[in-house]
Amino acid sequence: MKPVDCEWESEVLAAVLQNRWPERVEAGLRMHVAVCEICADVVAVAGAVDHAREEMRARAVVPDSGRVWWLAQMRARREATQAAGRPITAAQVLALACAIGLLGACFGATSAWFQSALRWTASSLAAMKFQALLPFAAGFVAEHGALLLGMAAIVLVVPAAVYLTMLRE
Amino acid sequence: MFRETVITGIRRDGILDDASASFMMDEDTFRAFYERTARGLWAYLVRLTGDRQLADDLLQETFYRFLRAAATYDNETHRRNSLYRIATNLARDVRRRMARAASVSTGDIEHVPSGKDAGATERMTDFTRAMSRLKPRERAILWLAYAEGASHREIADVLGLRPASLKPMLFRARRRLAELLGRVPRGGKP
Repeated sequence: MKPVDCEWESEVLAAVLQNRWPERVEAGLRMHVAVCEICADVVAVAGAVDHAREEMRARAVVPDSGRVWWLAQMRARREATQAAGRPITAAQVLALACAIGLLGACFGATSAWFQSALRWTASSLAAMKFQALLPFAAGFVAEHGALLLGMAAIVLVVPAAVYLTMLRE
Repeated sequence: MFRETVITGIRRDGILDDASASFMMDEDTFRAFYERTARGLWAYLVRLTGDRQLADDLLQETFYRFLRAAATYDNETHRRNSLYRIATNLARDVRRRMARAASVSTGDIEHVPSGKDAGATERMTDFTRAMSRLKPRERAILWLAYAEGASHREIADVLGLRPASLKPMLFRARRRLAELLGRVPRGGKP
């Protein structure tokens, strides 16, 4: 198997990074690099990378540290405010719906008043003549049309708002 | 090692839940750390992304995420490793999003301001072209090893690699760059 490192590699690298290569190193090391493919690569690559690093660091224009700190603080506060202002989560909506359903079921199952009222409503609906109510309904719509429209809008808007909130979550 | 220190590990406690809470680092410590690391990190990001503007943006994002991470560090090297790991992951995410993995533009980072001698300009251009032909991970390995002076273990930690696999990867990346620079022909001598 072809070797991937050399015992002199770190010494050669140190010489390159400390600008000692090639003049200020021992002749033995120079002779080794001349015959060692790995160390020759280290000289070529480390020298080029280090040179590029010096060039880039010299012309790097980075923002002021105070400005970076201030922007980070502002952003953290903004994110905290957004998190706090978020109306409800999908889990909260689900939990509320479950709680209401459970309460309703308990109430319905245990309340004698509720059950008798339910039976009365059912029998009343069965006995009711809906055609007789039509003139009354038409009059109500004519008189309170705006109110009905408003209620219908609320009925549509509230589920839409809940849906959008869940979507955002 | 990153020029002078040794890596051990970073204890991570997750991200701060309450963003209004102050950062784990105070302003003076942050500013001193920033002054020591920002230029080197910017150069690393330019090399990874091949785009100075993108590197500017990622630099700020990296420091923000670094501040928001509720991590404690044993020493400067831990901090620095964490910073470079965040930067590496951000650059990787951006690269995936932009589907630019195949090649990195060299036009934006080749420019050397006037006043530099022609030889230096040519060397920088050759180097940038050669680097742009490497894989992003190879660029990162070489830059961390030879520009940042990071140890194999530190590089593996920053890039999320197994330390044992780093040596052959570094060897291959170095070989490839040497060939691309034209200084060491395959199987030849310098």
